[in-house]
Amino acid sequence: MTATLRKASMRVGVLVFPGTNSEDETQRACEAVGLFTDLIHWTASLQDVRRYDALILPGGFAYEDRVRAGAIAAHDHLIDAVRQAASDGKPVLGICNGAQILIETGLVPGFDDARHPQAAFAPNAPGGRFLCRHVTMKLNAPPARCIFTQSMQAGALIPAWHSNREGRLSASPAVLDRIVSGDHGVFVYADERGTCTPEAVPNGSRLGIAGMTNVAGNVLALMPHPERDAWTFMHMDAAPERARGDTNAALTPSGGIALFEGLAAALHR
Amino acid sequence: MTLAVEISLIIPDNEARTAQATLQRLGIDVGELQRMSLWRLEIDAGERDALLEALKSTETIYNPNKNRLRIRDVASPDRAEVWIDEPDSPAAHTGPPYIFAGRALPGVTRLERFVAWRLMDRGGKPAPDHVVERAVETLLCNTAFQRAIR
Repeated sequence: MTATLRKASMRVGVLVFPGTNSEDETQRACEAVGLFTDLIHWTASLQDVRRYDALILPGGFAYEDRVRAGAIAAHDHLIDAVRQAASDGKPVLGICNGAQILIETGLVPGFDDARHPQAAFAPNAPGGRFLCRHVTMKLNAPPARCIFTQSMQAGALIPAWHSNREGRLSASPAVLDRIVSGDHGVFVYADERGTCTPEAVPNGSRLGIAGMTNVAGNVLALMPHPERDAWTFMHMDAAPERARGDTNAALTPSGGIALFEGLAAALHR
Repeated sequence: MTLAVEISLIIPDNEARTAQATLQRLGIDVGELQRMSLWRLEIDAGERDALLEALKSTETIYNPNKNRLRIRDVASPDRAEVWIDEPDSPAAHTGPPYIFAGRALPGVTRLERFVAWRLMDRGGKPAPDHVVERAVETLLCNTAFQRAIR
């Protein structure tokens, strides 16, 4: 089987709940790395969802974030299929609201096979306001720790957009200890040079965590949006200016696309 | 003195309806679920009526076309009621002065904000304790950053 055919045989399902709003750019990022991707709406059956090789819960405001961000969606019937995929070792990625949903299900950090939340993405500090800010995520665990990062260099830097009201990791001291000892904090906020400073953390997130994985390393809850900084023309550095007048260069996947390349590499492994 | 101000919707509360439907789907039998903004205030003695008038005239807090406002002299949860606190939320625990729409609330020396849920059974009576407990554990409170006060 050629590499192209092998890629084409891998299918990614992007779950869409009422209020999800980042499904198209997520789908485009997957397709940019050669993955067949379908949108799966909340009316789908569990059988529909189970045929996918990986699942992504994109950003937005599922069920209007009623009760808490991600809380209602975490009890949606489709989550049974997400739990099954996670249990089967398939890659499961939650971005922003998708990360909030995953943490509300208990799938991350996922200690002791919990079916209830052990941590939270709480309102940002200070002030509990919506924050939209360009950030840099730094790979903070050994690349092999998480299925999405196994093809990355140690300490890789990935640009993304922090765009949420509830993105501050919060947990009890005991849970935070386990997050540290188990290397669950796969991505932390850093400055553009990769230095982790308090100023680089936009929202007071505990341990500076931007992305957290589960015990097995196949589920990743990522608060910033890599898909919103995944082509050269989107970057905040000088790259778009350098690409001015060169359409191909401007439309080259780069930056945040690394997360999706990591997904593709994991599926082809 | 300490009192509580309850602000609820008189128009349909879709958020409460969604939460109720989710609980029912999870097998937690709640006949009716009511949601309220709940403020616990410490106020100077004699300022109760002035506070009520100030709240009613502050349109960002209370709109008579959509809200019900009630002062409760007992500042603790009723039966089958749970108050959700976010202990480290600056928005829930701010210091004085308490200014809304450019006006200070008279006599208020301390203010805490909660989201309150009241659970009723199918007969309209307060839901049993075990139902409230399950609803809180399953959906209404994430103890990683919230605290349920009953």
